[in-house]
Amino acid sequence: MLKKLLTLFHCSALGALLASGFALADTLDEVVDRGTLRCAVVLDFPPIGYWNDNNEPAGFDVEYCKDLANSLGVEVDLIPATWSERLPLIVTGRADVVIGSTSDSLERAQTVGFSIPYAVFVSQAIVNTDSGIETFEDMRGKKVAAGVGTVQEQWYEEYADDWGDDYRYQGYQSENEVFLAVEQGKVDAGMTGNIVAGPIAQRFDNIELGPVLPFTADYVSMAGPRKDVSWLNYLNLFIQQQVRTGRYEELWAQFVGSDAPDLTVGGVYY
Amino acid sequence: MDYNFHWQPVIGRLPDLLLASLDTLQVAALSIVLGIVIGLLLAILRMNARGRWTPLQWFAVAWIEIARNTPVLFQLFFFGFGLGAWGWHLSPFMIVLAGLSFNCAGYLAENFRGGFQSIPDTQYRAARSVGMSAGQTYYHIIIPQVLRKVWHPLTNQIVWAVLMSSLGMLVGYQELTGSAQYFASRTYRIFEYFAVVALIYYALVKLILMASRMLGWRLFRSEGGV
Repeated sequence: MLKKLLTLFHCSALGALLASGFALADTLDEVVDRGTLRCAVVLDFPPIGYWNDNNEPAGFDVEYCKDLANSLGVEVDLIPATWSERLPLIVTGRADVVIGSTSDSLERAQTVGFSIPYAVFVSQAIVNTDSGIETFEDMRGKKVAAGVGTVQEQWYEEYADDWGDDYRYQGYQSENEVFLAVEQGKVDAGMTGNIVAGPIAQRFDNIELGPVLPFTADYVSMAGPRKDVSWLNYLNLFIQQQVRTGRYEELWAQFVGSDAPDLTVGGVYY
Repeated sequence: MDYNFHWQPVIGRLPDLLLASLDTLQVAALSIVLGIVIGLLLAILRMNARGRWTPLQWFAVAWIEIARNTPVLFQLFFFGFGLGAWGWHLSPFMIVLAGLSFNCAGYLAENFRGGFQSIPDTQYRAARSVGMSAGQTYYHIIIPQVLRKVWHPLTNQIVWAVLMSSLGMLVGYQELTGSAQYFASRTYRIFEYFAVVALIYYALVKLILMASRMLGWRLFRSEGGV
């Protein structure tokens, strides 16, 4: 039985190898040939990505997917993803690009390819009205949640050793579950991006805006296949043109409602 | 698929993954113990219905029906966010334990009922006629035969509980799958982590099956094994 399984495994691995070995066209060629852009977005992250009242995908990231497809003269095929599905979609070739607020950590960059940043967030907490949390220090000893695989989770974990038993972190699969947990009082606070925190605090009666978190700015990039540099170059140019043509500011104003943040970092080349 | 596997990040986290697999085993083992106790009670309640249905019988039937005919994931969400909506907050561990125990009890109740019903009444009457008390009859005659009948389904349920505990990650419990996903989200080495985790699950289940076979052989060898 085991032998048979192993043989089967080898055969399928060989098949996959052959199939991939002959596919030499880059993603840009493939997208144009196919006539559709398969664009993965995270849709539980309003106002960046969400389902609107007509149950259609909407938000800043969704518009970026459409603009990118327009620029290529192809149709857009939106693929809804959770945070942790973002990479597998790229690696298995089911999506051409992820426009899903992916923070460009060096650790991740060893696996996927990142474009230049297309947006930047500040991390902020949302808190249950009964939590009594006003400053970041107040979160010590309180139950604090974030989405598994988010940078907030990773940055918060740096306080684990120092805080000891006062570090009470709880990870959830999606941003929606974090909001629900805060709303129900399962946890005292949730950590997310500042622009998401605002609308969420408005939507729920017993959630209010918490402290801005003392983490570094969260630069987010589009993610694509790591070795497909020509495709990543195209994405970089696209992001540059979105800013240059004023589309970035327009969409940011439409969905976030504030001045679009500066995407450059002073004193260094990208 | 244009992808080069990096195993180093996973190997570095192997001790953490093995520790997490203890969490998996712990919650599965506890839920099976609870499932057996509750399942037996439910089976006895249901078998004693005999035409007259009391609220207790309805309760047992409702439990079994819901546990067997709804997804485990739904049951976990009920104990998590469902109870949470009424302000009753269980820890992620308790959510998984409650959900799996609820599920196991429902399935095992039916296994036990089948086991009891497969023992002919004549066994009971014969035991009583040689002078055994009701308790002795159950202890020496009925239960050993039932145990042998339900041994395989029980083993299946244990395996099921171990594998189903992986859903715990969806309610925030960091067992084996949850930890793997947590670490994988750092490096995005998702394939490598889940490949290793699949192997760990495979080994765990194989160990359980082996243990069950050996124990079954010892328990039932006088009757020619299970």
